[in-house]
Amino acid sequence: MAFIKQTAPQVVNEDERTASRDFDGLCAELNNENQTARRWAARDLVQFSQASAPLVARLKIEAHPNVRTAILDTLAQIGDEQAITGIVECLRSDEASLRNEAIEVLKNIPEQVAPIIDSLLNDSDSDVRIFAVNILESLHHEDVEKWLIQVIEQDEHVNVCATAVDLLSEVGTELSLNALEHLKIRFADEPYICFSVELALKRIGQGDR
Amino acid sequence: MKNILVIDDAATVRMYHCNILIEAGYHTEEAINGIEALEKALTTHFDLYIVDINMPKMDGYGFLKEVRSQKDINQVPAIMVSTESASNDQVLAYSAGANLYLVKPVRPNDLLSYTRLLLGEGA
Repeated sequence: MAFIKQTAPQVVNEDERTASRDFDGLCAELNNENQTARRWAARDLVQFSQASAPLVARLKIEAHPNVRTAILDTLAQIGDEQAITGIVECLRSDEASLRNEAIEVLKNIPEQVAPIIDSLLNDSDSDVRIFAVNILESLHHEDVEKWLIQVIEQDEHVNVCATAVDLLSEVGTELSLNALEHLKIRFADEPYICFSVELALKRIGQGDR
Repeated sequence: MKNILVIDDAATVRMYHCNILIEAGYHTEEAINGIEALEKALTTHFDLYIVDINMPKMDGYGFLKEVRSQKDINQVPAIMVSTESASNDQVLAYSAGANLYLVKPVRPNDLLSYTRLLLGEGA
């Protein structure tokens, strides 16, 4: 059975890159009506360290997924505080696709994300805290297990803890065992927590990770 | 035996939902994102989809929108399951084509009741 693709093929016009490629020219191109021109401008702005502000401003109103992807990639490569803040703000978006894209981008820049993980894990929005745990999944940072233990010991939201337990079952060591046992007692009336903690304890005990 | 596709990027969640459904006598298959789920949905008959929202590559909304646009599978019922309890997410879920929206963590009795309801088996 064929998967019916519903979007028309995008025509790439070479003229899109004939506009001025200096900083001001590229910033102007970010507002071009043509999405291909906006996408090229977002990509080419990577050479300008001061590009975070216009890129973040455009990201807030950009509707085309390909342009958003280009903006997020460029912001990740620039990687300054303003760029990271702009990416993190996407975690609060109503659009699941943008949130997920931001999570995937943040997973790939551990050096820039590590300093703000504590604040993300303590965000007032439980969904942002869940996304922060999702980011830890691929962060490849030496403190990942410590952060996860901190979550299951302190966070009061069941889904934040559940997400942390899922990850601990993959990366946890004997250091996590006490915190997992305490979590099971704290959420004794939640069948999913009991199930996932039992699974994590079994995997850690077997060294199956 | 009714066949149910459980779609979630978290392996533990998939295992939890599948265990509940298998113990109740259903057959289950799993997918880790919307793309994999769509490939399975287009090649295998399912009686129900249980779909997470936040997944990489294709999220739950995207999966359901694609399913609802495919004439051979657009009538298959779907339960959307998510950690998000904001009313806007529920609106988006129903707009995408969900028949029911449940907030995680789902209790076994709730999952089975709603599954039976959507499969026309009575609670």
